[in-house]
Amino acid sequence: MTWELFAVFVGSSLRLAVPLLLAGTGELVSERAGVLNMSIEGMMLTGAFAAAVGAWATGSPVLGLLICVVAVFPVALLQAVLSNTLRANQIVTGIGINILVLGGTTLAYREIFGARSREQIPGLEKWSPPLLGDIPVFGQAVFQQVWLLYAGLAIIALTALVLRYSSIGIVIHAAGAEPRAVDKSGISVTWVRYLGVLFAGFMSALAGAFLSIGDIHTFTEGMTRGAGYLAIAAVIFGKWTLSGTVLACLLFGAATALQFQLPTLGVDVPNALLIMLPYLLALLAVGGLAGRQTAPRALGEPYLRR
Amino acid sequence: MTDAAVRASMTKSRRRMLRPSIVISVAAVLAAALVGLVLIFALGVSVSEAIAAFIDGTLGTPYAIAASVNRSIAFALVGIGFVIANRANLVNVGGEGQIAVGGIAATAVALYGHVDGLPAALSFVIPLLAAVLAGMLWGSIAGILKIKAGTNEVISTLLLSFIAVWLLYWCVQSPQLLRKPMTSSATLPESLEIPEAAKLPLLTGDYSFPVHIGLPVTIVIAIVAGIVLVKTVFGLQLRAVGFNPVAAGRAGISYARMVMVSLATAGALGGLAGGFMLLGEQYVLKDGFSSGYGFDGLVAGLLARGSVVGVIAAALLFGFLRSGGINMEMVAGVPTALVMVIQGLIVVTLAGAAFFMGRRA
Repeated sequence: MTWELFAVFVGSSLRLAVPLLLAGTGELVSERAGVLNMSIEGMMLTGAFAAAVGAWATGSPVLGLLICVVAVFPVALLQAVLSNTLRANQIVTGIGINILVLGGTTLAYREIFGARSREQIPGLEKWSPPLLGDIPVFGQAVFQQVWLLYAGLAIIALTALVLRYSSIGIVIHAAGAEPRAVDKSGISVTWVRYLGVLFAGFMSALAGAFLSIGDIHTFTEGMTRGAGYLAIAAVIFGKWTLSGTVLACLLFGAATALQFQLPTLGVDVPNALLIMLPYLLALLAVGGLAGRQTAPRALGEPYLRR
Repeated sequence: MTDAAVRASMTKSRRRMLRPSIVISVAAVLAAALVGLVLIFALGVSVSEAIAAFIDGTLGTPYAIAASVNRSIAFALVGIGFVIANRANLVNVGGEGQIAVGGIAATAVALYGHVDGLPAALSFVIPLLAAVLAGMLWGSIAGILKIKAGTNEVISTLLLSFIAVWLLYWCVQSPQLLRKPMTSSATLPESLEIPEAAKLPLLTGDYSFPVHIGLPVTIVIAIVAGIVLVKTVFGLQLRAVGFNPVAAGRAGISYARMVMVSLATAGALGGLAGGFMLLGEQYVLKDGFSSGYGFDGLVAGLLARGSVVGVIAAALLFGFLRSGGINMEMVAGVPTALVMVIQGLIVVTLAGAAFFMGRRA
């Protein structure tokens, strides 16, 4: 492999990992707070769709991004209400929302775009950081990326700081591990969990927007193709730590990038096997490569004050 | 409490919950159907035309009825599997993948297992058994991961589904696997047609009403499952594990065994559904043949709230809903995605409605 190809591989791994990184970080916060949020798949799909429609209708990808965040909010709120206030089974609600969104976006896509399905949708601009972008070979291939990638990485870094060093981080952690203690300290478990789910919604919205207007500048039906579930697998693989989740997402991103890279190297591997690879890796990851699992103790259990 | 006392109290609590849950299920379906009608109206399609197309696609011809019933068979099998696993408090979301591996196995054995010359029924029974085994294997993987690593079965069955779907794609794309010999570059990525002897016999023997023998088989399975879940020690053990694995363990019920048996059974039923679809209707393995079936079966299982009779009702509902939806798309131009919207609404409404039924936390 030449350096040029390697640089392209690193660049595309990073690009393909971004939706997982964003959604995975959101899911991590939600799960730390105690809500297993299966609906990030649906939230990402809503985000991808709303961003595409918004960018196409207004002609401005930035407005599209804004519309996307606004559009995902009700979906996240629905999940939050169902899993906290109505104490519904979180897995069932998540799957219900995902089916609903897949149907809804497909329906709306056909209605809005119909025959115009090949129309170009304006996408987010690329940006390369000053010094890094000037590195020979790597500068262009790795660091010349959509600005949302850098914004996303900044948000993830900020999330890491908040989780690690602030009282907010402690409260989120406690809401998932010892909800009763949070309740006794006078903080509402329900509110903490609402915020966790809404944050996951916000991050999934960005992830969806990155897919449609950041990466390929179009929307296709069901375009998330299980990326949300991969993000959840990444959280498990990362043992519910942010650094672990990030590494897992990067690994899945690299596995996805392989399917475009190996054929150019003349390696003859069945295409299907390559497409399958991230899911296979994720299965191995959640199936014990990561060792015994240490989920937040109250994960998936609605909190009921007695 | 003695076994009998536990059972009595369970029956009592079930009886108390039964009626409101049926009412709520029916109400959720009706409300979602109403939203569907509103959406059709909003799409600017004539509602009466859409309804006419829907009815024509479900009940219009004997063929349409048979196609809907065949579809319902697959949903019912996946749904029954879901209910069995759910007794042990497990959520099997992997129907899609289990159907896919069942279909692959059935095709492989029907085409290359020399079943042609076997005596009568064996030539389709053996491919069906292969489908069951394949599905069982796929379900067991999730079971093993659950026991050995504590992996949440929702995630593992979902990921296994994605893997199975791409496995199917691989099988029909690769001439070394199940793709039919490439005679020209235009050869479609699909398998050869299975031999005549491997095709499931039709109930009437008449292609204008092609309900296959999967129907009576499914009915028998449903009855057996219903009896096993409600009347046998095994059914009680499953439920005990679902309520409290630790307490069940103290009572000598092996959690690991219950997890394995229930997930393997759910997988086997999914595999059988795939086998039926292949040998009874499609005859040719194609990419995406299982698409949507797993989720429909899952939703049928959810909707049934643990009752096998409920699964059958929901499976029939969805079988006809799908057929009607497809005809609505072809005739009236209403995208079939509408059916998914309706299903999603049903699931979300029911999940939320559980709160109002005073269920156990």
